[in-house]
Amino acid sequence: MNPSRTENVYLPKVAILDRVVEDIAEVRTFYWHFEDPAAQTEFKRFRPGQFAQVSLFGVGEFPASLPPSPAEPETFFTVRQVGSCTGALHRLKPHDRFAVRGPYGNGFPMEQYRGKNLVFVAGGIGLIPLRSCIVYAMNHCDHYRRIQIFHGAKTPEELMYLSSLRDWEKSGHAECHLTVDRACNGWGGHVGVVGSLFKKPGVSVPVEDTIAFVCGPPIMFRFVIRDLLAMGFEERNIVSTLERYMKCGVGKCGHCCIGTAYICVDGPVFTYEQIKKLGEDI
Amino acid sequence: MKARVLAGADVLKIVDLLRREGREVIAPFCGRGRDTYFDIVTDANRADIQIHLPNPYYPPKRFVFPHIERLLKVRGNDGQFQIEPTYEEPRRALFGIRSCDVEGIWHLDRFYLGRDFRDIYYEKHRLNLFLVNIVCTDPARDIGDECFCVCSDTGPAARDHFDLQLMDLGGGEFMAVAGTPAGEALFADPIFRMGTAAHVERRRAILGEVRRQFKTTTSWFPATVRYVSEGRIPEKTWEEIGNRCLECGGCTYVCPACTCFTVSDRRVGPNETERVRIWDSCALGGFTRMAGGFNPRRAVHDRRNRRFFRKLAYYFIQRELSMACVGCGRCAAVCHGDVGMPSVVEMLRRASADVNPNEPVKD
Repeated sequence: MNPSRTENVYLPKVAILDRVVEDIAEVRTFYWHFEDPAAQTEFKRFRPGQFAQVSLFGVGEFPASLPPSPAEPETFFTVRQVGSCTGALHRLKPHDRFAVRGPYGNGFPMEQYRGKNLVFVAGGIGLIPLRSCIVYAMNHCDHYRRIQIFHGAKTPEELMYLSSLRDWEKSGHAECHLTVDRACNGWGGHVGVVGSLFKKPGVSVPVEDTIAFVCGPPIMFRFVIRDLLAMGFEERNIVSTLERYMKCGVGKCGHCCIGTAYICVDGPVFTYEQIKKLGEDI
Repeated sequence: MKARVLAGADVLKIVDLLRREGREVIAPFCGRGRDTYFDIVTDANRADIQIHLPNPYYPPKRFVFPHIERLLKVRGNDGQFQIEPTYEEPRRALFGIRSCDVEGIWHLDRFYLGRDFRDIYYEKHRLNLFLVNIVCTDPARDIGDECFCVCSDTGPAARDHFDLQLMDLGGGEFMAVAGTPAGEALFADPIFRMGTAAHVERRRAILGEVRRQFKTTTSWFPATVRYVSEGRIPEKTWEEIGNRCLECGGCTYVCPACTCFTVSDRRVGPNETERVRIWDSCALGGFTRMAGGFNPRRAVHDRRNRRFFRKLAYYFIQRELSMACVGCGRCAAVCHGDVGMPSVVEMLRRASADVNPNEPVKD
């Protein structure tokens, strides 16, 4: 048997909550840091698209994507309150302690995408896991050609990271296109599903040498994929990040397995070409 | 591998040797009727250890992967937390485990220790575990109606992965084979003596004869593995299998090669919680249910599909170097709907034959 010391992969490290920012209804961003500065330095080596396991002791543990880019000074999670663990996180106040382990997963191969156009398509809180790549791409905008962000939500109140989207647009490195399913008072923008933005007058989506990042609810995913394929995108140039019920994050507990892949260690990032071959519906 | 011969009357002295080494020895016992179980050997029950008996339904897997195991203890005071991992590091021997279960533990070894992330809890249980395998030779007592290790190629005699293997040669003699240096070290004891070519010949003859005693011999894994891996099983067949599944989870709990677990936090004191892991089952509806209620694998037949895909698909065989079925037959014995591994393999093979695109005979 392996004589080298085995690390305890289930052991989380204590983290301290710094501040909480309200994003949209039931979704908040939690800025935090590790109690141990060495752990913080080590953790900051994460890649865009990876995730971490967040522990609320006495309640449980849940996987959360990492929306910050590694280059950003602060680490944070953006989490919607859906179950008992996320609910417990939402009840924490600044200076409260919880615990984190990770980062896990493969992440997006951003280096491989050098010299390409990047198209981000996000439905609702699907923008959260893509935020890391967007910020990474903005910081390395000389590595990439055009950067486009298409973001749709049910209502204008449910659009994610609105102020960041405005900043990215203002920087001149990215085009942002927003849409909502139902317009409310004061919404002067586009109305329709996110795929309808591709055909909006004045919008041209490059297909050659382009990577499309897609993340959102299953129904949105299905239609956006259909649109992208119809536009001529190759299956291997469409990437997404999947989610599943997950307990361990390290390929042992068996919950997140879809077909032949463990989302936690083989993913969560897959190309559409891979997703199709998993052998099970996503 | 080195082999020795010992008298049948001396076999249980191996248990004494292991106990003298300071090991906790686990051995099989008979309860009433079919009931058999593994238990810790004490001075009081030492004489009741059984060499030939039906394999206990509750597999010895729990001695390396307990059905409930504490991972962490967390003490919290005034908003501060102390997280303390807790380990069990037993010095144990499993006496009398069958070849299928030896292969089961070997499968778990590769699953928990052979990947990117090594499981330290499993490793600590496994590190000082001594395995004494007993070859199933008695058709009446050892080989059950559901046993099918001859189909999964894991028995009746394990080829490796044990420390010591014992086989009843009849006539009051046993053959002992050492699989590791630790097993070989036991041969220093005077109960072991050198065997002859005749003993080796007897072993071969007995094994040849025993292989003919299995009642379940039609589990044609290679064809099924191919069909499952190629996605050639009709949805209708999974539905038929799903319709017969009572969703009790029994097959996964008795399986020596099932690895899934869930993790749960529980309060154990005013300022203390512990995190435990518990065996989980892909047969149960909540296995993939996410917070918020969305369940991507809700239908029973999807879950059955999942279990057999995970066990039989070529992809996973490549990943773990063996399929996750060791032919012990426990799932077949406990399943009320008769959708244990041998029946399912047969159903899948028949169903695939029906839709074989290469079938040369057309009507």
